[in-house]
Amino acid sequence: MADIMTKALRAIMKGAAIASLGAIAIASTASAQQYGYGTATGIAGAVQGVATGTTRTVLGERYIPNIWVDPDGCEHWVMDDGVEGYMTPHTNRQGIPVCRRGNVCGVMNSDQFFATDSFHISGAGKQQLANFFRSSSASAYIIAGHTDSRASDAYNMRLSYNRAASVANVARSTGARVADVRGYGERMPRASNGTRQGMAQNRRVEIICIR
Amino acid sequence: MKFAKLTLAMALVSGLAACEGGQIGPDKGLDRGFDAKDLSQLRAGIWVDPNGCDHWIIDDGVEGYLSARLDKYGKPVCSGAAPANVATGPFKGGSTFAIGDPL
Repeated sequence: MADIMTKALRAIMKGAAIASLGAIAIASTASAQQYGYGTATGIAGAVQGVATGTTRTVLGERYIPNIWVDPDGCEHWVMDDGVEGYMTPHTNRQGIPVCRRGNVCGVMNSDQFFATDSFHISGAGKQQLANFFRSSSASAYIIAGHTDSRASDAYNMRLSYNRAASVANVARSTGARVADVRGYGERMPRASNGTRQGMAQNRRVEIICIR
Repeated sequence: MKFAKLTLAMALVSGLAACEGGQIGPDKGLDRGFDAKDLSQLRAGIWVDPNGCDHWIIDDGVEGYLSARLDKYGKPVCSGAAPANVATGPFKGGSTFAIGDPL
């Protein structure tokens, strides 16, 4: 009995192997003949080579995603292929997520809280910040410091981090959870550094609220 | 009797395959079958990875989805919402699959 079963199984598997071979052969002939994407199985596409100007044939299947927006407001590519589901964040080519709204819940103007080149916060400033963190309903915070483009990049990276860390210390003193502290220096400007107003806008500490 | 049961089971399985699998064309933006809907309506929870960072997790009946939670700078959000290797929130709330997810 067991012997018969194995034989039958082998025959089935052989048949399946031949069938799949056939599918591949069909797919490759289809790709050679039709340029563009097919609609049924074993789909092929022709891609115009950008650099060379020659036509490159790609064996593939069209997978057109939908967009799912997460509770933070950021987009993800989502696909349902019958029984399988797939998802991945929608980022631009620089790796920055595409979001429909932001989670920055506070932008501190550095001029108001810090003296030039300093990361010390006055008593009044600390009080004001502590009130902000106590009244916020977020479960955690990401704190990111930024500067304008004057002075060296390395100096600005250090100064912006130290300023963010000062803010984080106030947050922690109120019992708030700080998920991350960062200094981006002059690398993420919000406005042009070509004008005085732009530079003032770039000197800031951003507080991201995580809910 | 045994044979009848087997036939029934086979029919059920192929029926399932017809509903959830089969040929569905290039547009993968819809959930077809029992709990059909547009995929933009999924409800997510948070799964915390072994490094402590958040991922959106969705159990949509037969399909499951997982995607990184990123902040506006593209860095992972490690909020401490739950301990590592824990999933939390309403991530099983999206599906209306009547039979339910066996897992």
